[in-house]
Amino acid sequence: MKRISKLTLAGALTLAAVPAYAAGTANGVYTEAQAAEGAAVFAERCAMCHGKQAEGTWEVPALKGKFMGNWGRESLAALSDYLARAMPQFAPGTLEPKDNGRLVAYLLKINGHPAGAKPLPEDHAALAAIRIDPLAATAVK
Amino acid sequence: MSRQNWYPQANLARREMLRGGAALGAVGALSACSAGKVASAGPAPRRPYLTPMRVTPDQLIDMKCCIRPVRAAGPNLGTQMIGDTLVVHNYGHGGSGWSLSWGSAEVAVGKALSVLPSEIAVVGCGIIGLTTAVVAQRAGLKVTIYTRDVIQRTRSFRAHGSFTPDSRVALSAPAGAGFGDLWEQMTRLSWKGFRSMLGLPGDPVVFQDAYALSDAPPVKKHHDADPAIKGAWEPGGLPLQESEWAHFMDRIKDLVPDPVMLPTAENPFPVAYTRRSSEMHFNFPSYAHHLLTEFYQHGGLMVMRDFNDPSQYGQLKEKVVINATGYAARDLWRDKTVFPVRGQTGWLVPQHDAPYSLRYKNASLMAKNDGIVVMNNPIDLGEMFGVGDSMELADPAPILEVMKIVEPIMAGMKGIA
Ligand SMILES: Cc1cc2nc3c(=O)[nH]c(=O)nc-3n(C[C@H](O)[C@H](O)[C@H](O)COP(=O)(O)OP(=O)(O)OC[C@H]3O[C@@H](n4cnc5c(N)ncnc54)[C@H](O)[C@@H]3O)c2cc1C
Repeated sequence: MKRISKLTLAGALTLAAVPAYAAGTANGVYTEAQAAEGAAVFAERCAMCHGKQAEGTWEVPALKGKFMGNWGRESLAALSDYLARAMPQFAPGTLEPKDNGRLVAYLLKINGHPAGAKPLPEDHAALAAIRIDPLAATAVK
Repeated sequence: MSRQNWYPQANLARREMLRGGAALGAVGALSACSAGKVASAGPAPRRPYLTPMRVTPDQLIDMKCCIRPVRAAGPNLGTQMIGDTLVVHNYGHGGSGWSLSWGSAEVAVGKALSVLPSEIAVVGCGIIGLTTAVVAQRAGLKVTIYTRDVIQRTRSFRAHGSFTPDSRVALSAPAGAGFGDLWEQMTRLSWKGFRSMLGLPGDPVVFQDAYALSDAPPVKKHHDADPAIKGAWEPGGLPLQESEWAHFMDRIKDLVPDPVMLPTAENPFPVAYTRRSSEMHFNFPSYAHHLLTEFYQHGGLMVMRDFNDPSQYGQLKEKVVINATGYAARDLWRDKTVFPVRGQTGWLVPQHDAPYSLRYKNASLMAKNDGIVVMNNPIDLGEMFGVGDSMELADPAPILEVMKIVEPIMAGMKGIA
C-alpha cells in the first residue's frame, strides 16, 4: 500500500513540476567504460558497507535488487545528488563529481540496465531528464 | 579472551545471581563465589545439572518423514518467463531450507522488485514461500500466496529445524566456485533474521547447549574422495560419495560459537568425552505463527490452489510470481537436477525441564517446544544417508533403535559435582 501511494505521489509530482522524461535507462545511457571505472570506485568507497557484490546486509541497503524498489522511476539526477550529498555515510560529500557519475553508471549496470554508446551526461538538467526505468521482465536475471 | 571463555560458567553464575536473592540462596554451589572472585580466578569447574530425557518407547508421540529438496547446483534463484509473467524461482534448498530462508527470500524478492511491481504472487507456503512473502511485504509489495498446503502441513514442518546452512545444500562441482559467495550472503542475512526473532513469545528461535558424546576422542570429519569410486554426479543423477557435497561453514566461523570439550569434572554424561556447543534451532509452531501473523497483518492473502503445470503461473493476475514449491518443483517444473534425500524424525513428549541437545553414536536428540526430536543418522554414511530415497512414509524402527542406545546414557547421568 505504502509503495503504491509513494509511486502515485511521485507520478503526481512528475506531472506537476518536471517536464516528461526525455529518456530512460532502458535506452543505454552510460558506457561500459564508465561502469568499469565505477566498479573500481565502488570497491574502494562503497563495498565495505554495501558488500563486495553490492548485496547489502540486514542493516545496510542492497544496491541491487532492492535498490530498484528504492530508486526505480526516480530521475538519475535524484540518485546522483543523493550520492554526492549523503554518501559514503562516514564521509558524505567526498565523492569526486567524476566518480559520482561513474558510480551511477555502475549501479545501473549491476541492476540490469544496458550500457550504450554515449557516456552519462555530467549536466544536471540532462540527468534530471533521464528516468530509472523498471526492468523489462525479460531482462531480470 | 579466547572464544572458549566466551560462554563460561562465570557468566551463567553472574546471570543467576542477578536474578535476585531467592535464586542465589537456592543455588548453593554459587553462593560461595563472589562476582570479583569469579572474574579474577576464572570459573570453578561445575557440572551443569541436567535432567535426563525420558526416552522410553512409550514417550514416542509422533513420527514424521520428509524429503530434502536437494538441487545439485544449489537453490534455484533463476528467472524465467511464462507468457508475460516473470517467474523468479526460490526452491531446492536441500537440508538447509530453514537456515537459508531469510537470505534466499531477499535474493528472490530483490529480483522481483527490479520490474517495480506493486503486487506479486508467491507459490508455495513452506518456510521458503512464507518467508519470501513476508520479506516482499516488508519491501512494500502486496502479496498473495497460492499454495496447496499452508506451512503446518508442508515438508518444512517435517524437518529437524536447526541452523545447518550448509547441510546438503549443493554438490561442489555443479554448484561452481561462485556459489560460496551467494551462500555466505544468504547465510549471514538469515542469521540476522533469526537474531531478530530471539526472545519473541513462544521462542520461535532459541539457542541451547548441545552435547556431542563419544567413547573415543572426537575426530574432525574429513570428506576425502574415495579413489575406488569412479565417476560423480551427472545431470539427472545422484552424487556417488560424500566428498561431492559442498561445505562452507568455515566462512562463518566468526558467527558460530566454538565447541568446548568438557573436563571430566564438568561432564554430566557417563561417557569419556563430551563436547559442548551452542546450537540455534527453530520451534516450528511458534515460528509459523509469527510469520503467518505478520503476513495477514500486512494484508496478505492466502489462496488454496494446486498447480499442475507451469503454464498456470502465467494465468495468475499477478505478473511477477515467486516459485517456492520445494521438492515438488522437480515434477512441476521438470527440474531433474533436484534429487530426494529422505530423512525422518521421531518426536517424544515435550520435556521443558530438559532443554538441551545430545548426539551419541547414530543418535541425535534435540529438545524443542513441541517435543524432543530424535533422529538416527548413521555416522558412516554421513550426507549420503537417504540420497535418492523418495519413500516418504515414516518407519519407527530406526528411531526406537537409537532411543535404546541413549537409554543407558540417561540412566547414568550425574547431578551437580
Ligand atoms: C528430515 C529433515 C530434516 C531437516 N532439517 C533441517 C534443519 O535442521 N535445518 C534446515 O535449515 N533445514 C532442514 N531441512 C530442510 C528443510 O526442511 C527444507 O529445505 C525446507 O523445508 C524446504 O522448504 P520449502 O518451503 O522450499 O519446501 P516445502 O516445505 O516442501 O514447501 C513447498 C510449498 O509448496 C506448495 N506446493 C508444492 N507443490 C505445489 C503445487 N503443485 N501447487 C501448489 N502448491 C504447491 C506446498 O504445499 C508447500 O506449501 C530438513 C529436511 C528434512 C527432510
